[in-house]
Amino acid sequence: MTRDDSRLDEITRKLDDRTPLTLADGVWLYGYPDLCALGSLANRVRERLHGDRTYFNINFHINATNVCHADCKFCSFARLQPGMPQAYTMSIDQIRDKLIERRGQAVTEIHIVNGLHPDLPWEYYLDTLRVLKAERPEIHLKAYTAVEIHDFAIRYGRSYEQVLRELIDAGLGSLPGGGAEIFAERVRHKICRDKATGDQWLDVHRQAHRLGLRTNCTMLYGTIETLEERVDHMLRLRALQAETGGFQTFIPLSFHPDGNDLGKLPPPTGMDDLRTYAVARLMLDNVAHIKAYWVMLGIKTAQIAQSFGADDIDGTVQEEKIYHMAGADTPQALSRVDLVRLIREAGRRAIERDTLYNVLWEDDGGALAGVRLDASVPHWAAARRHLPIVESPEPLGPGGVA
Amino acid sequence: MNSQTPALRVLGVSFLNARPLVAPLRTDPPLGPDGTALFTVDEALPSVCAQALADGRCDIALVPVATLLDHPEWEVVPDIAIACRGAVQTVVVAAERPLAELSRILLDDASRSSALLLRVLLAAQGLTPTLEVVPHGEGAARVGQGVGALVIGDAAFGLAERFSHSVDLGALWFHTTGLPMVFAVWAARPGCLRPEHLEALLAAKNLGLRRIEEYARQYAREHAGTTTSLPESDYATYLRRAIRYGLDAYEREGLVEYLSRASSLLQRPEGDDTAHVRFADAGYAPLRAAVATGTASPVSVGQILDRARRGERLGLREGLLLYDEADLLELGAVADLRRAALHPEGIVSYIVDRNVNYTNVCTARCKFCNFYTPPGGPNGYVLSREILAEKFRETEALGGIQILLQGGLNPELGLAWYEELFRWTKANFSLRLHALSPTEVIHLANLEDLTIREVLIRLRAAGMDSLPGGGAELLHDEIRNRISPFKNTTDEWLEVMRQAHMLGMKTTCTMVFGFQETGDHILTHFDRLRALQDESLLRDNGGCFTAFITWPFQADGTRLKLRDDTSAWRYLRLQALARLYLDNIPNIQVSWPTLGAEVGEVGLRFGANDFGSVMIEENVVSQAGAHFMLTAEQIEHHIRQAGFRPARRNMQYELLTDTPVAPSGAKA
Ligand code: SF4
Ligand code: SF4
Repeated sequence: MTRDDSRLDEITRKLDDRTPLTLADGVWLYGYPDLCALGSLANRVRERLHGDRTYFNINFHINATNVCHADCKFCSFARLQPGMPQAYTMSIDQIRDKLIERRGQAVTEIHIVNGLHPDLPWEYYLDTLRVLKAERPEIHLKAYTAVEIHDFAIRYGRSYEQVLRELIDAGLGSLPGGGAEIFAERVRHKICRDKATGDQWLDVHRQAHRLGLRTNCTMLYGTIETLEERVDHMLRLRALQAETGGFQTFIPLSFHPDGNDLGKLPPPTGMDDLRTYAVARLMLDNVAHIKAYWVMLGIKTAQIAQSFGADDIDGTVQEEKIYHMAGADTPQALSRVDLVRLIREAGRRAIERDTLYNVLWEDDGGALAGVRLDASVPHWAAARRHLPIVESPEPLGPGGVA
Repeated sequence: MNSQTPALRVLGVSFLNARPLVAPLRTDPPLGPDGTALFTVDEALPSVCAQALADGRCDIALVPVATLLDHPEWEVVPDIAIACRGAVQTVVVAAERPLAELSRILLDDASRSSALLLRVLLAAQGLTPTLEVVPHGEGAARVGQGVGALVIGDAAFGLAERFSHSVDLGALWFHTTGLPMVFAVWAARPGCLRPEHLEALLAAKNLGLRRIEEYARQYAREHAGTTTSLPESDYATYLRRAIRYGLDAYEREGLVEYLSRASSLLQRPEGDDTAHVRFADAGYAPLRAAVATGTASPVSVGQILDRARRGERLGLREGLLLYDEADLLELGAVADLRRAALHPEGIVSYIVDRNVNYTNVCTARCKFCNFYTPPGGPNGYVLSREILAEKFRETEALGGIQILLQGGLNPELGLAWYEELFRWTKANFSLRLHALSPTEVIHLANLEDLTIREVLIRLRAAGMDSLPGGGAELLHDEIRNRISPFKNTTDEWLEVMRQAHMLGMKTTCTMVFGFQETGDHILTHFDRLRALQDESLLRDNGGCFTAFITWPFQADGTRLKLRDDTSAWRYLRLQALARLYLDNIPNIQVSWPTLGAEVGEVGLRFGANDFGSVMIEENVVSQAGAHFMLTAEQIEHHIRQAGFRPARRNMQYELLTDTPVAPSGAKA
């Protein structure tokens, strides 16, 4: 428990000079015992980029099928065969109904992620996008992880580029960041050997960025990986970002142990979560946003993560199958006011955004319909000045769309 | 400050029992800070007083308590009442037959309140005589076969001897409920009472109580030769013994019981909140002083944190500034340093014990509590010896060393019940008893008419080892009045802890936040705990607070409809601030049962050095929506994740040597 302040000073200097941190720096930061000092460092970077803003957006998820021919050890969502208990596949009509159910609701984005179904036709995936677009043309479709894109390419005999072009024509707006897990081959071989490799995952995103799509990236932590492997994962993302500039947001995902083959691992812990957010903010200096996914992290830790580098809280997720089958200890949905409240209580300013971070609404501290929010605002936060944004994140690479 | 405030118009009651409260306001008129009189004083019959206050013809009046049901807006002066515990002598049904045989009872139009009390008591016995209102003072003359008369006030003196079956309603109430009866309180138009008014009314009462003999003599002289005249000494005894002028926890329990019964008799809307009373509060004088005088040198948050880092004591204003402006991580970093300075071994302790709630019957009806059932209500329970034995055996089997025993304020359970329970526990189990919060101790002292000290001594002799710090919520009466007006006050809570410390006992202390309190309330809470701890440590007899625990209010299923910041973020800030301000309380415990293990773990880097307990059950919290459960292995895992070595302890925070301290296994 000795504190090595000179090393911390050195890293602080690097951050001030905008010198990228090394693998060794990242691992050292992970092991630094003073949680608040680590948080402060990450918070500096976060406030430099985003001031006191915390973003959210109103989206909903569609998981059209949970049938998956892969057998990832950490996954409690997928069922191997179509006929297995709890296995389901929605028809295109059912998918459309999911959106029709929300008529009149202010949804700006649909997040679509599926299992790797062995025998659905290619048209199914295109039609999914088409019916949703036909129903509400203004909605942004963030669909299909790189793992799915890779699987489509193999299954339907197309290149990544062809797959992506056809999906874009059908209405695809961006790619979610799922399926990255941990890039290191050792880990991938043990926990998810049946699906795209790390390089393939990165290739899909490279291709997407070239075609002008913005994408997100993730990391699954808390399984069998080492701290080096986590930081290495971040560095591989940083390298691709330096090349293309197409990543918008990094989302660390903590592993949930119930209901899957890795159930013997200890539960995720708050300390590890917050350290991961802070280290990610410090390592990924060229990715604009770090998102706290509260469905997994828990509302409380997600709120605290705003002081440890996170500037985005994944919003009012209305229906969430993937993590709830794994026993995440959080309610199914958080209302918009609850989310704004959570952000305010941490002394931040809530910004509602669309998928591409255009500002749709900004919290002016006033009352919100239906809730006596006035009483919930800690008065120190009310008195707090708005922090200026002193630096904008790396501009988009050549292929980026605004 | 307002310099030119008009004197408040006070309307007192003309009865003898009101003299100690009212007469000193005339004879020694209290003056405000600017030297002008605070009050003008008049007197009237009780029912007139309430009407005048309602009509705005006076600002403060001595009103019958039942009128509070119609005027929830009135502010009630704390600590002052006209009440009794048992016979009162001046609210009497005069009759020649037992109550059950009366077909008609004549009521006195001077006080609707006593008439209501009579109706409540008749309802409790299932009696339904005809009730008829007659002019004040006329009833007694018309008592006859099957006809009784409710006689109140001075006219009732000596009545008991003249009728063969008089019933004293104070005594009957006490017999029915086991609680005192509160007849009248000072109530005020909202917004007019300031701290100096509250202090002046209290000072007048204290002066009046010293002059009881004088008032008795006066009164005897005034009434010499009338039919109701009694010897002067009887009046003095009446004022000294029968009437109680305080409004402490026991009187408040009686008050809410009465208001609840009265409101259901009057068929007011359902729910215990019909019985809410709004007490006025003068705030915490040291804080007022600190804020008033503290304009001198402006200090920055950074300077204050530097002082805290060096282990220097923080003042109230400094604490307030940190509360208002310090950043979460700055507070956390300094709190972590202070924690390391106080506990350099790098060990985080925890205990294996079980929370047993022996009864859920409670008279106090706190609004934030969804655990209790009022006396006589459905679902009330008292755990049997068999169930307790099973729970205790399970606890021992799981390696538990202690029972945290708490419950409601159940008027059926006397001191002997507890003594037997404790003796039986000690005879049959090797468990420590961390038992009874101050609230329960106060209740027992009242019930048995013993001092706090006597109760503690007897409980201790029977086997109580230490006292948990429950029932503190927020130690600021302004908040308590809002959320639990009928429960013990801040002073009463602290007094139990003081007495326990004087006996050399160890206790813990707590704070619950999320009641729309401000920094003033929080800092007052901290300051009062710290001041008492200073006092106790000076005594050097081992009696002191061992630990502080704070957690957010859990609103689910309670009657408290307010919403406040009860976030994990605020929790961490408050806990860190507590570590800095409570420099003399050695241990801080995280509250994972309310916040979850993840936040609990993080809390270890925000000033805490203890992970609390492997709670085998926790009714009070779990009914309000917290359902976290952890095993000892999980607790140790979280402690290691935070970078510490886990160790089991007892309530005294001594590490248990028979559980090996595992080597450091911190992953990161
Ligand atoms: S993580 Fe994705 S690819 Fe792996 S089994 Fe689950 S659904 Fe299939
Ligand atoms: S908190 Fe305690 S005193 Fe208050 S109602 Fe509940 S059990 Fe009774």
